[in-house]
Amino acid sequence: MAIRANPHLIDELEKYGAQDVVKCYHCGNCSATCPFSGEVFVFPRKSMRYLQLGLSSRLQGNLEPWLCYYCGECSEECPRGAEPGETMMSMRRWLTARYDFTGISGLFYRSAKAELLAIALVAILTGLGLTLFGLAQGNINVYDGPGAFLPAENIHIFDWIMAGVLVVLLGINCVRMWWYTVGSDKEVRIPPGDYLKQFFLVPWHFFTQRRYSQCDRKQPWAVHLVLMLSYLTMLILIMFFLHRVQHGPDIDWKVHAFGYVAAVGLVGTTIFALAGRVRKTWTHYKHSHETDWIFLVLLLVVSLTGIAQHVLHRGGWEVAANIVYIAHMMGVVPMLVLEVPFSKWSHMAYRPLAMYFSTLREKVLLAEEKTEPRPQSAAQTA
Amino acid sequence: MNQECRIGVYICNCGTNIAKVIDAEGVRNKVADLPGVACARTYEYMCSNPGQEMITRDIHEHGLDRVVVAACSPRMHEPTFRKALESAGLNPFMLEIANIREQCSWVHDDRAKATAKAADLTHAAIRRVARHVPLEKQEAPYTPVTMVLGGGIAGLTVAVELADAGQKVHLIERESRLGGNLGRVDLTAPYLDSARDLLAEKVVLAETNPRIDVRLRSTLTDLMGFVGNFTATVTHQDGSDTEIPVGSVVVCTGYREFDASRIERLGYGRHPDVITSFELEQRLRSGKMETADGRVPNYVSIVHCVGSRNAKYHTYCSRVCCMTALKYGHEIKSALPRAMVTDLYVDMLSFGKGGEDLYRRTSELKTMFLMFEKEDYPVVRAAEADDDCGLLVQVHERLSGETIDVPADLVVLMVGMQARSDSDQVARTVGISQDAEGWFIESHPKLAPVSTPTEGVFIAGCCQSPKDIPDTVAQARASVAMVLGFIAQGKVEVDARFAQVDGDLCSGCRVCNELCPYTAISYDPDEGRSEVQSALCKACGTCVAACPSGAITARHFTDEQILEQIEGVLAWSTSQP
Ligand SMILES: Cc1cc2nc3c(=O)[nH]c(=O)nc-3n(C[C@H](O)[C@H](O)[C@H](O)COP(=O)(O)OP(=O)(O)OC[C@H]3O[C@@H](n4cnc5c(N)ncnc54)[C@H](O)[C@@H]3O)c2cc1C
Ligand code: SF4
Ligand code: SF4
Ligand code: SF4
Ligand code: SF4
Repeated sequence: MAIRANPHLIDELEKYGAQDVVKCYHCGNCSATCPFSGEVFVFPRKSMRYLQLGLSSRLQGNLEPWLCYYCGECSEECPRGAEPGETMMSMRRWLTARYDFTGISGLFYRSAKAELLAIALVAILTGLGLTLFGLAQGNINVYDGPGAFLPAENIHIFDWIMAGVLVVLLGINCVRMWWYTVGSDKEVRIPPGDYLKQFFLVPWHFFTQRRYSQCDRKQPWAVHLVLMLSYLTMLILIMFFLHRVQHGPDIDWKVHAFGYVAAVGLVGTTIFALAGRVRKTWTHYKHSHETDWIFLVLLLVVSLTGIAQHVLHRGGWEVAANIVYIAHMMGVVPMLVLEVPFSKWSHMAYRPLAMYFSTLREKVLLAEEKTEPRPQSAAQTA
Repeated sequence: MNQECRIGVYICNCGTNIAKVIDAEGVRNKVADLPGVACARTYEYMCSNPGQEMITRDIHEHGLDRVVVAACSPRMHEPTFRKALESAGLNPFMLEIANIREQCSWVHDDRAKATAKAADLTHAAIRRVARHVPLEKQEAPYTPVTMVLGGGIAGLTVAVELADAGQKVHLIERESRLGGNLGRVDLTAPYLDSARDLLAEKVVLAETNPRIDVRLRSTLTDLMGFVGNFTATVTHQDGSDTEIPVGSVVVCTGYREFDASRIERLGYGRHPDVITSFELEQRLRSGKMETADGRVPNYVSIVHCVGSRNAKYHTYCSRVCCMTALKYGHEIKSALPRAMVTDLYVDMLSFGKGGEDLYRRTSELKTMFLMFEKEDYPVVRAAEADDDCGLLVQVHERLSGETIDVPADLVVLMVGMQARSDSDQVARTVGISQDAEGWFIESHPKLAPVSTPTEGVFIAGCCQSPKDIPDTVAQARASVAMVLGFIAQGKVEVDARFAQVDGDLCSGCRVCNELCPYTAISYDPDEGRSEVQSALCKACGTCVAACPSGAITARHFTDEQILEQIEGVLAWSTSQP
C-alpha cells in the first residue's frame, strides 16, 4: 500500500522546533555516528526522511526519537548542518502531541502564548482557591498544626486527587503510544509472554537511565539523573510524608535531610541547564524551544518558593511562609497538571516505555531475521 | 628484391616496454643481413632526440634511402620519424614502422616466440619499405567563407564570432526563426538569467551584420569538394537551390526532446496536466501557471530522467535536466508561492559552477526530493474525487524504502535530449559519423572535441551530445578558432595517400561511388568513369577492394606493397601450420 506524502508536515514540525530538516541529503553520517543506533533501530537518518516526505503515519509509529538522548554527536557530524539531533528532539515534542488525546499538548507546543496563558490561569485558580480555602477554615498566622492556613492533611488529599487525575490522563496517552508504536502493527506481533518478561525494563530504565549513561559524554547523563532523582525524592516526600515535611519548626532530619539534598540537586541542575541554554554550551543546548524555557523557569520557581517557605517557616515568619506556600502551589499545580500529561514531563513515562516497546520489537524482528534473513535495502541499513 | 635499396633498420627497446619481452639485439641480428639492409641498430628510446639523430646521421653517413623503425604503434610516432627523414632530406614516405610494442611485447609473454614475431614484423616492414615510392604532399587554396548549419545558440555564436573577426558566414536555419531550443526556455540555470535576453542579443547581431547571410527555412542538401574547397548546396523551402563555395562547415544542428508519451506509466497524453519541461517553460514565459481546467495548482511534481539513463530508451544522461528541474523549483515558487513542489529524481546531477548552490537553495525552498530507481519510473494516475489534488504520482522511494503517493496538480516531465530524426541525413551529407544514439562523433573525445574525421567539417553544441549553454558556447567558440586557423593559413595541405582510378581500366560501373564512406568518389558522365577527389579520400581502401575491374589503387597501399609485407611476415614461418 502506498502512503501519501504530505508536503505540509515539515511546516508543522517547524513549530515543534525542527529547523534544518530540508538540508539533509541522506549521507547517513548521523546514523553511523549515533552511539544508540543499533541493528534494528537505525537512526536518525530515516526519521529525517520520514519527516522530509511527510509520512505522518510512519513518524507516528516511530519509537526512534525516544531512543535518542540528544547527545548531539549526529548534529556535530552532519555535513549539511541539518541538525538531526534537534530534529529528533522536535519529533519527541510532536510525538508527545500525537499521543495526547486531548490536543492540549499540540496547542502548547505550537503556541507558547497558549501554554503561558494556561499556566497563568491554573496558577490564578490555584492561588484563589487555596487563599479562599485558607481564609475560610484557617488562620494566615499559622503555618502548621491546629488552625493552619493550609493544613497538611488537606493538601495531602488534594495532592492525591491531582495525582490520580494525572495518572489517568498520562495513562491514556501511554496506551495510545502503545497502540501507535506496537499495538497497531500487524506485521510485528509481540507474544504476550514477552510483555510480562520484559516489563522490568520500565522501572529499570526509569530509575537508572541506563541507556543515557552510554553516551560518550557522561555529564549530560549525570545532570539529568540528578535532576530526575531529586525530583522523584521530592515527589515521594510530598506524596507520602507531607505532614512530616510541613511540620516545624524543628528539623525532622529523617525526612528533611532527603529534602535538602533533593532541593540542592533540583536548583543546581536547573540553573546549570538554564545557564547552558543561555550560553549554548552543548550541542543539545544550542536550540531552545519556548517550552524548554517554560519548563526550566517553572521548575526553578517551584524549587525556590519551596525552599523559601521552608526557610520562612523555620525562621518563624509564618504569614510570609503561608503566602509563599500559596505562590509555591501556584507553580506546582500548573507544572504538574500541564506538564506531566501534556508537555515535557510526560517523557518520564514515554522514554522508559519506548525502551520497553523497542526491546519487544527488536526481539521479534531479530528472531525473524534468523529464520529468514530479509534483503536489506539502503533505507533499512542507514 | 630491389638490390639498390639502402635500408636502415632501428629496433627500439622503449625503456623496458619492449625489452622486457623482446630481445631487440636478437631481432637485429636476424634482420641485419637481409637484402637491402645497410645498417641495423638497437636503441633505448628511438623517439628521443638522440634516437632521431641516429637516423639522420646514418642517412648521411650510410647513404640510406629507406628507413624501418621497429617500435611502438605508428599512431604514436610515425609523424616523428617522418619528420626525421624529411630533415635529412629523404621523402617522408620512405619510412615504415613495425609495431613490436602494442602488437608484440604488450600482448605476449613468451620471450622466444615474441622475439620471433617481432623479427617477422620487422622483416615485413623491410620488404614493404623496399617498394615505397616518394609521394608528394599537395596543397590547395582555402576559401575564407564558412557555412554554419543550424541557428541555435551554437550556430549563432559561431556566426557572430566569425563575422566579428571579419569573415563571411552563411547561417542556414531550417525553421522560420533563429534561436533553436533556447528560444523555448524561460530562465536559465543556475543563475536564473533570462534565456530571451541571452538570445535576443545574438539574433540581432546575426541579422544585422552584413557579413552574415542568414537563410531561414533552408537546409544543406549537398556538400561536395574538400576542406577549403567545398561547394555547399542549400535548398530553400520553395524548392530552389543555391550553390555556395565555402571553406568549412560548422554543424550546429542541436537536439530534439524525447517523446514522453513513449513511457506510458507517466501518463503524458492521457492526463492533460502531465506536461513536458518545454511546455512548462512556455507557461512560465506566458505567466499562465494553471491546470488544464484553469485551477491554480497547489502541488507541482517534477519527474527527472524521462527517456534518459534508461536501458529501454536512452542510456546516457541528458545533462541539463537536473539543473533545469532545480531551476523550476525556484520559478514555480515565485509564480505560485503557496504551491508545494516535489522533485522525483534518480541521482541529482547538479554539477559544476553554481550547481550545488542551486541545489541547496532549491532544497531550502522546501522542495520535497524523492529518489527513484532509474528503471522504475513513477506511475501517474488520477486522484480520487475527495483528494485535494488532481493527480497522484506513485513512486518507490529509495531513501525511505517506502511506496509513496505524491500529490500533484501538475506533473512536469524532464524530457531528455535525443539526436534529431534527420541527423543521419546530415551526417551523410557532410561526411561525418554518428554513435549508436545518433550523436555526431568528434575526432577525439578529449583532444579534438569539435573536429571530425572530415577535415573542414566541425561540430558544436548539442548535435555532438547533450550539453548546457556554457558548454555549447564553448564548443561554438572552439570551432571558430579552428576555422580561423585555416583562414590564417590561407591554404590546406592534402594528404598524399589517396586512391586513384585508372581511367583506362574503370568500366564506369559505379560500385565504388556508393561504398565510399567519405563520399570521395564521383562519376563523370562525360568520361564514363569514376574519379576520386584526392582531398576527400582517407585512403581507407574500401573502393580498392570493391572495384570489379581492379581499376583503383591506393597510393602508399599498393597491392605490391601489401603483398611484399605479407611475404615478409611469412618468410621465416613456413614450418608453421
Ligand atoms: C527544457 C530545457 C531547459 C533548458 N534549460 C537550460 C538552462 O537553464 N541552462 C542551460 O545552460 N541549458 C539549458 N538547456 C539546454 C539548452 O537548451 C542547450 O544547451 C542549447 O539550446 C543547445 O543549443 P544548440 O544550438 O546546440 O541546439 P538547438 O537549440 O537545438 O539549435 C539547433 C538549431 O539547428 C536547427 N537545425 C537542426 N537541424 C537542421 C538542419 N538539418 N538544417 C538547418 N537547420 C537545422 C534547428 O532548427 C535549431 O534552430 C535546456 C534544455 C531543455 C531541454
Ligand atoms: S548526517 Fe544525517 S542529517 Fe546530516 S545530511 Fe547526512 S543523513 Fe542527513
Ligand atoms: S542526538 Fe545523539 S542519540 Fe540522538 S540521534 Fe543524534 S547521535 Fe543519536
Ligand atoms: S541531467 Fe538529471 S534528469 Fe537529466 S538525464 Fe541526467 S540525471 Fe536525469
Ligand atoms: S580509398 Fe576509401 S576514402 Fe578513398 S575513395 Fe576509396 S573508399 Fe573512398
